[in-house]
Amino acid sequence: MKAILFVFPFVLAVAYFPISQCQNLPLIEQTCKQTPYYGLCVTSLKSDPRSKTAGDVQAIALIMVDIIKAKAGGSLQHIEKLKQKYPALRVPLSACKDRFNAIIIGDVPQAVEALTKGDPKFAVDAANDAALEADSCERGFSGKSPITQMNKLNHDISIITASVVKMML
Amino acid sequence: MADSNVSYNPLPDGERPRPTRRRSIVLVLSGLLVVGFLVALLSDNGSIAPANVIDNDNNNVNDNAKNGLNDVSSSSKEPERLRPFTSASSAGVSEKSNRRFGSRTASYPWTNNMLSWQRTAFHFQPQKNWMNDPNGPVFYKGWYHLFYQYNPNGAIWGDIVWGHAVSKDLIHWYHLPLAMVADQWYDIMGVWTGSATILSDGKLMMLYTGSTNESVQVQNLAYPADPSDPLLIKWVKYPGNPVLVPPPGIGAKDFRDPTTAWLTSEGKWRIAIGSRINRTGITFVYDTKDFINYELLRGVLHGVPNTGMWECVDFYPVSTTGEHGLDTSHNGPGVKHVVKASMDDDRHDYYAIGTYHEKNVTWVPDNPEIDVGIGIRYDYGLFYASKTFYDQNKKRRVLWGWIGESDSEIADVKKGWASLQGIPRTVALDTKTGSNLLQWPVEEVDSLRLTSKEFEKIELKPGSVMPLDVGSATQLDIVAEFELDKAALEKTAESNVEFSCSSSEGSAERGALGPFGLLVLADDSLSEQTPVYFYIAKGKDGSLKTYFCTDQSRSSEANDVNKSKYGSFVPVLEGEKFSMRVLVDHSIVEGFAQGGRTTITSRVYPTKAIYGAARVFLFNNATGASVTSSLKAWQMNSAFIRPYPDDDDERHSGTEPTHEVRGSKTKYLGNLLTSSLLFLNARNNFL
Repeated sequence: MKAILFVFPFVLAVAYFPISQCQNLPLIEQTCKQTPYYGLCVTSLKSDPRSKTAGDVQAIALIMVDIIKAKAGGSLQHIEKLKQKYPALRVPLSACKDRFNAIIIGDVPQAVEALTKGDPKFAVDAANDAALEADSCERGFSGKSPITQMNKLNHDISIITASVVKMML
Repeated sequence: MADSNVSYNPLPDGERPRPTRRRSIVLVLSGLLVVGFLVALLSDNGSIAPANVIDNDNNNVNDNAKNGLNDVSSSSKEPERLRPFTSASSAGVSEKSNRRFGSRTASYPWTNNMLSWQRTAFHFQPQKNWMNDPNGPVFYKGWYHLFYQYNPNGAIWGDIVWGHAVSKDLIHWYHLPLAMVADQWYDIMGVWTGSATILSDGKLMMLYTGSTNESVQVQNLAYPADPSDPLLIKWVKYPGNPVLVPPPGIGAKDFRDPTTAWLTSEGKWRIAIGSRINRTGITFVYDTKDFINYELLRGVLHGVPNTGMWECVDFYPVSTTGEHGLDTSHNGPGVKHVVKASMDDDRHDYYAIGTYHEKNVTWVPDNPEIDVGIGIRYDYGLFYASKTFYDQNKKRRVLWGWIGESDSEIADVKKGWASLQGIPRTVALDTKTGSNLLQWPVEEVDSLRLTSKEFEKIELKPGSVMPLDVGSATQLDIVAEFELDKAALEKTAESNVEFSCSSSEGSAERGALGPFGLLVLADDSLSEQTPVYFYIAKGKDGSLKTYFCTDQSRSSEANDVNKSKYGSFVPVLEGEKFSMRVLVDHSIVEGFAQGGRTTITSRVYPTKAIYGAARVFLFNNATGASVTSSLKAWQMNSAFIRPYPDDDDERHSGTEPTHEVRGSKTKYLGNLLTSSLLFLNARNNFL
């Protein structure tokens, strides 16, 4: 009986220790609250295991840039498939390919460099441009886009990234 | 084991029960722990969604066509408008963040024809790749030097080193090898912005920011390897670098861009370096005798709350009596001091005029309401990281500014370059108003003028557009004056709303007294046009307030370029006509109003109004006033900016040399060794 009394506070403390600390949620939530797409921000970050140990906004930003890169890469692959499926959309799909390519070889390296070398404003530019490229890809279809969801996702993730980096300025 | 007399339930994990009393406590404890964990786990209501949401969908076609991309998908719960994450009041926070899309739908493909047209004829730019801040501008042994932030490897910011070019007249530039590369631990992450100081004995000192191997911002000293070389090709970094590291309490990434030094009355050199404490932008001041050892002076020269990090601080005297420039060390009666800083947050350059107190190392603005970061900008378009230098050759202060791109990355990647330097400008105090500076293209720009066309007193009725036959319209220098009839000015009703170029409808917003001005880079059908214009608003007290704007909303049929409107209020004094000077140089348009009281730089990327199809028009879109205009337009020659020729034939022929600008360090060193003799020879002949 005495042992249980002795042990119980410990158990209570453990019971009320939120598992969320292990997932680094305060930083993620705090950061995502200041972006225009809170839900997407949280789910994107949580899907990346590195977010559990991210220590500051810069680390979060780097994860987001990696997500931009991954999504853009996936988008490129998808576009290649669609070119076979919709030969009539070859022209706008090719334009989209160029745009996502620009994200991967231009925006992403600039963002990573800016964040790691210490001049984050250039990462804001790069992330904003990534959003613009996704938007422009979508516009190329004059309303008949087969990849609207994909473009929106790329756009929104980029906007989230830009707003995260802006917190560092 | 003794027999247990404690009842138990089998644990989910199948742990064998320990029938002793002590062990049953452990059992209960473990059970409670498991329960506790389960409770905590279930109370965490964050959802874990699958990462990959890319899939086909057949979306509502009509929505996309009608709303452009303001409503890309109907199924998302989040706000869907493409809007930058910025405060509503700051337009153009970063070049690529403030797009306003028209309703045109197709994404415009950039052809090589369109892209190659964009290169300028008489603005400084390297042959390829990325450039940003101007660095260490100085006049030394007969040559103007310009260094600049450069990426030798691509058209994006990165791998930053110091590019270098020289000129005799600030207009005709010769590319030289890279001056400094990232080869030391203290600048391996970036050879960043810095400034030059010429000492009393003529020695040249260069202070610059290095980003160290740990991305800490430090200040380093460099100087010419051979001070007798007027071209200053080779540079040496002080072996004891860094000479300054962030002061205690200052962030490792909040300490950069040292200024040109100025002499104090005690004979010490003084420099300023921008920084921030929380959200307050500040500038530190240091004294030094040798540029190696520094004393951080107590306090700060100045700071302004809520302005964020101050980059590229500049500090210099202006004469209150004359329009000539002053040496940076000049002080005394008839002098005011300018503090300027580039705001990292909103990407604009701000300046304020005030009084410098050398003894207690402070500077006080004349008008705190238009203090640094919250008041006047050098330029209301794209213009950042600017820096002045005192040109002892012509006794003037000259201002350089970095003009980035406002197109999309796909175009920069395709064309292989990004950014320009603005046309160099003289800066001086506006002695008529006393409260702002005047900026004007350096007089050497006039030497580019070729043939001209003059137009006298053209009357433009309300709602009229008039083509100007000036010949080719992609390289122009236009000086124009406008007058409105006095009756119209007097009878116009008052307005309640404060006008703003950026939140207006641009040149399509018709007021009683404006807009009127020029349409540049326009095509015959005016499907593409860039208006540079005045808009006069009547305030509540009946006084007239004039605005000077540039409207990019119809500048191009492409939809991935910046379409916002730039501009600001411009003081117009009693008896003055409305006057503007506009430089058009392919993809850059620079407007100067009222002798340079307000300036606007914009990047323009037409798809049709290029080459021989570009036109210029006069326009008056006011409803209540006729406008009379007189103007002169010159064709502008190219400045033939090219690598410094390394033999006589190339230099005298004036044609493009066939070799490329040296991009790699090893290549540069190798060539340097073999061509140094040629340089000496060639230079003598050239001079």
